[in-house]
Amino acid sequence: MKRLRNASLLMLLAISLYGQGTVDLAKLLRPTPDSWPMHNGDYSGRRFSTLSRLNTGNISAMTLAWVHRANPGTGQAGGGGSAAFPIKSTPVVVNGILYVTIPDHVWAIDARTGQEIWHSTWRSRGGWHISNRGVAILGDTVYVETPDCNLVALNIRDGREKWRREICDLEQFYYASTAPLIVKNHVIVGVSGDDLDIPGYLEARDPQSGDLQWRWYTYPEPGSPEAKTWPNEEAMKHGGGMTWGAFTYDPELNLLYFGTGNPQPVINGRKRQGDNLFTECIIALNPDTGKLVWYFQPSPHDTHDWDANQTPVLFDGEINGQPRKLIAQASRNGWFFVLDRTNGKNIVTTEYVKTNWTKGLDAKGQPIPDPAKEPQVDGALVSPNQGGSANWPNPSFSPATGLFYTHAMRAFSVYYLYENEDDEKPQGWGGNDRGGWSEAMLKAIDYKTGKIRWSHPWDGSASTRSGLLSTAGNLLFAGDASANFVAFNATTGAPLWHARLHTSMTNGPVTYELDGMQYVVVGAGDSMYAFVSTTSGASR
Amino acid sequence: MNSLSLSLLLAIFLAAQAGPTERQRVDNAAADRGRLVYTQYCINCHGSTAKGTDRGPDLIRSAIVLRDRMGNGIGPAAQKRPTHQATLTDAQVVDLSHFLHQRVESIASNRNPRGTLNVVTGNAEAGRAYFNGAGKCSTCHSPTGDLAGIAARIPVAVNLQQRFLFPTLARGGPKQVEVTVTPAGAKPVSGVLVRLDSFNVSLRDPSGEYQTIRRGPNVKVEIRDPLATHHALLDQYGDADMHNILAYLVTLK
Repeated sequence: MKRLRNASLLMLLAISLYGQGTVDLAKLLRPTPDSWPMHNGDYSGRRFSTLSRLNTGNISAMTLAWVHRANPGTGQAGGGGSAAFPIKSTPVVVNGILYVTIPDHVWAIDARTGQEIWHSTWRSRGGWHISNRGVAILGDTVYVETPDCNLVALNIRDGREKWRREICDLEQFYYASTAPLIVKNHVIVGVSGDDLDIPGYLEARDPQSGDLQWRWYTYPEPGSPEAKTWPNEEAMKHGGGMTWGAFTYDPELNLLYFGTGNPQPVINGRKRQGDNLFTECIIALNPDTGKLVWYFQPSPHDTHDWDANQTPVLFDGEINGQPRKLIAQASRNGWFFVLDRTNGKNIVTTEYVKTNWTKGLDAKGQPIPDPAKEPQVDGALVSPNQGGSANWPNPSFSPATGLFYTHAMRAFSVYYLYENEDDEKPQGWGGNDRGGWSEAMLKAIDYKTGKIRWSHPWDGSASTRSGLLSTAGNLLFAGDASANFVAFNATTGAPLWHARLHTSMTNGPVTYELDGMQYVVVGAGDSMYAFVSTTSGASR
Repeated sequence: MNSLSLSLLLAIFLAAQAGPTERQRVDNAAADRGRLVYTQYCINCHGSTAKGTDRGPDLIRSAIVLRDRMGNGIGPAAQKRPTHQATLTDAQVVDLSHFLHQRVESIASNRNPRGTLNVVTGNAEAGRAYFNGAGKCSTCHSPTGDLAGIAARIPVAVNLQQRFLFPTLARGGPKQVEVTVTPAGAKPVSGVLVRLDSFNVSLRDPSGEYQTIRRGPNVKVEIRDPLATHHALLDQYGDADMHNILAYLVTLK
């Protein structure tokens, strides 16, 4: 009986704890310090935390709080039955619980202790199990995309499925990997897939029912001026432009921002002459209607798979003494862009790492691709390589330093066009890049000029694939390819603290404060590591 | 039920065994038969690559084909009507299904090369001049020394192209990355680099001893990478240089 009573007490305690486990729109608009309530922490995409309990003065004493090693079980996951590690998702943290994913799996973990609370497994029908970027939460619902093209709503208390909605057609080689974003009464979802020539799109779904509210295809209206950037409607409507990157949102302007992926066919672009809008663009949409407001194209007529899906980061700044609403992207193609986010007009375009594929800039501030550096039958030596100077790992912007932080790969490879596909109607890829040499750096960019303020060479790392996090403690967190998780002085780039994990960091770190302690949580391979401040007391 | 229908059902059952998750597993023999069906009845309108013509739609991009399993979509779509004059048997429909799925899979995987890449397009004499001149390749390499017979040892030209652009050091080979570490006020330590990151440098010294030295502002680390010149050349090569060098190297048989 006593045991039963204890169990009941535990259950009551659990219910009372779980009873807090909901998220409202106000919390999304004004995240509290004890949370990381959406993919980027807030709508801006800055991955900047106002927490300063951990700071340059005490970071050296940060210590390990817990490790959670994910056990997906066996025989459940798709993609051949094996779980698709590493953890690439950014955890969402609300009400003391952290939600993290890999394809087909969601875990709810106690953010204080690392104790697993529930684990939800999706029985997959297939799809590419390359990644899952994480969940969105609204009310008592956790939203997650699955490789087999479903948006799934889970009960936040136990991970049980509430409903599922198909958001793309697995049979056409789409798959789904994006972290959804809650904007007002919309769940914004993106899609992936570039094996065949299918069009990208973005959707808004009803948070309660999952029903479709609108869908915006990443190609122009037939007959519009933008449609002239394709040779014909057939090419345009099979022209790719997936929406797998992170979304950002400005509540005041009521604009939703995101980048689009590569055009199709990916490598053989000879029968899709033109800029190929709206592939590889930064897009601003009205989130209530799905109507296009403006676009800017970092990679016109790309033939190198340089998806412009890197987070378009929102911040307010000053240009020539005038306050401006800005949006910035360190694009996969090696170029950094700052735009006016009210209208998409270019303010800064610079290389953040040396490249060799452009012939200057056009009047809009967009790079002009050098035709000689398009893939060739006998090869074209191109920098960056297909992996890009940046990729999906999240950048960060600190309003305290005015610096935009990004990993930067200087990478070379040879792009080949395959003759067997050089026919009247290329499809799929029709070529690829091969080989290469690269070096990796962490760079801090002055948004006003695009100049590099500091650059940390990742000695021994050819490529780094970790997200970044900056804080009001003047810290910048990052990972290298030698399994080090590192805290830098965000102003100077001096490394202040590091720990070698069992494998390299594979996701974007998050931070939150509970019980007067600041946690920093990072994913590496199959594990989550939580580090914590050892000193309590007032933030500084 | 005749035996053909039975075998068809069995085939559908086996394909379905993989579950709805799996795409149709292409039976190459059936696809070969399907190619003949396609050539006889479909090619005039849907084209030699099944990518469509003015007279018939693209079948690679066809949702009917992509969703088809063992002809269950293609069969009804191919039924006799003004645009489809032929009457296909159930077996022909299944064969056609295998052929079209084979075509789709071929396109969907064409990021992988098939066959030889024709990469030798440069001028060998210009390549030789670059080798001995601007590229300074002859500083370290010789066509009668280390590169003698290189084209015979690496007979696939694209592999040779990759090798000279992006050479790597064989683990345990005669050439290794070497490092000298000089802590402030201490004697330099040299050896073969084992591991380097922003915080530590590990080496194996000439006596075979493994050492790790913590890096810091007062610790000088000098790396000697035998491939550093190759890395620097990546900024220097024009594509014509790259093609000419390859044309020259393939003559060193």
